[in-house]
Amino acid sequence: MNGVIAGITLRQLLSRRRTLLLLLLGGVLVLVALVFRLAGDESRALPFTAQLLANLGVAVLMPLVALLFGTGAIGSELEDGTAVYLLAKPIRRGAILLTKLVVASGCAILVTCGPMLLAGLIAAGGLGDGVVLGFVGAAAIGSVLYSALFVALSLTTARALVFGLGYVLIWEGVLSGLFAGTRTFSVRQITLAYADLFADVPPEVFDAQLDLGTASVMAAVVVVTATALAIRRVSMIEIAGETA
Amino acid sequence: MTDTPAGPAIELANASRWYGNVVAVNDVSFRLDGGVTGLLGPNGAGKSTILHMMAGFLAPSSGAVTVAGAPSWRRPEMYRSIGLVPEREAVYPFLTGRQFVRANARLQGMTSADAEVATARAIGQVELNDAQDRPIGTYSKGMRQRAKVAAALVHEPPILLLDEPFNGMDPRQRLHMMDLLRRMAADGRTILFSSHILEEVERVAERVLVIVAGRLAASGDFREIRRLMTDRPHTFTLRSTDNRALAAALLREPTIGGVELSDGLLTVRTADFGAFSRAVAGVARRAGIRLHELRPTDESLESVFSYLVRR
Repeated sequence: MNGVIAGITLRQLLSRRRTLLLLLLGGVLVLVALVFRLAGDESRALPFTAQLLANLGVAVLMPLVALLFGTGAIGSELEDGTAVYLLAKPIRRGAILLTKLVVASGCAILVTCGPMLLAGLIAAGGLGDGVVLGFVGAAAIGSVLYSALFVALSLTTARALVFGLGYVLIWEGVLSGLFAGTRTFSVRQITLAYADLFADVPPEVFDAQLDLGTASVMAAVVVVTATALAIRRVSMIEIAGETA
Repeated sequence: MTDTPAGPAIELANASRWYGNVVAVNDVSFRLDGGVTGLLGPNGAGKSTILHMMAGFLAPSSGAVTVAGAPSWRRPEMYRSIGLVPEREAVYPFLTGRQFVRANARLQGMTSADAEVATARAIGQVELNDAQDRPIGTYSKGMRQRAKVAAALVHEPPILLLDEPFNGMDPRQRLHMMDLLRRMAADGRTILFSSHILEEVERVAERVLVIVAGRLAASGDFREIRRLMTDRPHTFTLRSTDNRALAAALLREPTIGGVELSDGLLTVRTADFGAFSRAVAGVARRAGIRLHELRPTDESLESVFSYLVRR
């Protein structure tokens, strides 16, 4: 972990206009919770909070935040040429990559879990029998998994945003609803399995579709494979001049 | 300086680089050791590819590129000996000039206190003091270029690689930068900079490497290369009140290699650019001919480079 690289990456990720858009998206989550609270249907508070955090927090906010931070952490620097100032230093490229991954994950956790915590507290009118902290904790794990995946993707293709969105919308959004087998390769389903574990609520409130054992194995596979791939890619990456 | 390289500072030995079927650099060999060298060539000639191979950003497809005696590719510790000014303009826009240069010093492993001193020195060297606390996003192209140069020399590397360093600088900044490069070379550094502008290279480089279409077309002392460029055959086209009579008069001049008449144009070939330029008006006046147009046909830098390649 290099402090200077972490500082630059942090400012780079948080100074962008799209970070503001992501915060607005988080604001929508809070707004929906507020509307529910004002409606005053206390009897449905727990299942509503779980559904809100699962369907808007874990399924929408978490992957979009991680997608923008993950692909922006190093991929955009390679694209605009600023990466040269980090790569032309006596620092192993793997160390640069790991620093950026940690910062991207941290930013993703912050921008995802903050609004989720606030929205959960408002909707449940408190911690909601562990539902709020359960989902927030699971979202932190999911943010790390997504960030690792999207950092690796940004080093593999110039169209990382498109492929990332395709994965989130088509694979996770459509296919995992139709075919149970595809859920094994879904970060969203892995996250929900952890949410189920941490929240420890009855199935009528929330029930994950992936069992915890499979989710744990897949979480380890995703983070290790994506990080190893990203380190390998960044170590081999070549930078050509403006004009060959 | 942080380090003095053992062996030649930079050496390319039959280095080639291709992208698929496109050969960007073709069997280039040279070695550099101290002083300022200009890497001259038209846009797209392969200058940036050569610099990027030296900077460890591109692996040679064949041959070897070594810096201080060891291969440049995948050797991060080499960057202690190298300062690099890339051609691309992008610099972190949210950092001030001082923060940017200081970050480069810290990334070189300097302590916070050392980085502070080195940053102040480097910023002073490129005369960026007045703008050092402004975000780089607000800089002009020339100021950004100077910030990049300050970042490259903040750790006082013995080798400096600069890709089109004078781009965007105004004439005063350009002269200052040239002076800075000369002074750093006088301190024993090896400096290589690329340019497609002959005059830039002429004013600062002692040696020149001419790259055309990926090949090393000429290398050596700048004055020798300059002489080759000046003494090459030149062609002019002329329009006058009597092209035929002018052709006859010109053929009596010793500097004229041949003439050709076609479509109302007189084409003249000469081996001596200067002598012909001085003589042509007098020849026309003595023959009672009025000149309407005199135009060199092949004065583009590309044609000069092509000539050097054909030699």
